[in-house]
Amino acid sequence: MQSHDEILERIRSTLVQLFQLDAAAVTPGARLYEDLEIDSIDVVDLMDEVQRHTGRKVTPEDFRSVRTVGDLVAVMQRLLHA
Amino acid sequence: MAAHSEFAPDISPVEARRQDAYFWRLLMTGTSFALFGLGAVVVGLVLLPLVRIIPAARERKRARARTVMRLALRLFVGVMHRTGVLTYEFRGREQLGRPGQLIVANHPSLIDVVFLLAFVPSAGCVVKGGLWRNPLTRSAVTLVEFIRNDSTAEMIVAAADALRAQPLIFFPEGTRTRPREPMVFHRSGANIALRAAARLTPVYIRVRPTTLTKAEPWYRIPARRPHFALIVGEDVDLQPYRSAPLPLASRELNERLLAQFEAELERPAC
Repeated sequence: MQSHDEILERIRSTLVQLFQLDAAAVTPGARLYEDLEIDSIDVVDLMDEVQRHTGRKVTPEDFRSVRTVGDLVAVMQRLLHA
Repeated sequence: MAAHSEFAPDISPVEARRQDAYFWRLLMTGTSFALFGLGAVVVGLVLLPLVRIIPAARERKRARARTVMRLALRLFVGVMHRTGVLTYEFRGREQLGRPGQLIVANHPSLIDVVFLLAFVPSAGCVVKGGLWRNPLTRSAVTLVEFIRNDSTAEMIVAAADALRAQPLIFFPEGTRTRPREPMVFHRSGANIALRAAARLTPVYIRVRPTTLTKAEPWYRIPARRPHFALIVGEDVDLQPYRSAPLPLASRELNERLLAQFEAELERPAC
């Protein structure tokens, strides 16, 4: 079982690596599209990473309501603990 | 400047003189459109329902439905050609139609997709989601298992899945080119290519003079008979893009593709 902070840290390093972002910009409140310039195409690449991390099949449906980094943490938690 | 000038054809007075049997072409263009409608009714109400009820595996039905559609569109192209509505050439088309092949083309006119679907065997195609909401087209696009473009994430997943066993046609401009405006390519095409394509094959489409663009109704036919040139380019080597993470790699590939299309379409037709 992973804590919220561990998951956030993992997402942060993934986003930094995938999108060459500044780690400091990846806060729970940061909006993916407006603040981090991660668009709907990038989200599919992100889905792959989440799938790899969680070992669970991820569908676009799981990501429909994701707007912020915090939402992403919540999705990861749900997938990991499902 | 007159209010209608925005829509005035951008051609010199000499070219503007109506030639190549203008009124015959106008009549035959209308006839072709009517025939297209009639063909759609025959295909949609007779042939595809037959495919649906004749027992077969889903893949088999899909293949039959695509063949029906291809032959119908091939007939349509033949009619437009033989009645003098247009002339065309399709160079290198034997390169098209392999499983795992992503075929990307620019989209200057309404009927580009007709040409590609008429000549590429067994291909799937990413088309607009509205076709699933229209009762007249829904059952057809469902049976041929085309891919709808209205949700980017779902489209990418479905396209990558289709490429496992089929060729797939994709128009990265998404909608028809607006004449005299720069092309814009959606990155999803490059993303799909890097995700799942065994090969990425460009098709450069030139229409001279332009016709059936986004900016004109069907009856505004050009003064001269239009010529459609579809030229299959060399496969794009995907290897150089394999090392970077997908978000970055797909941006680079998309820019390269766009630059390549711009360069090829600039080049005078030979």
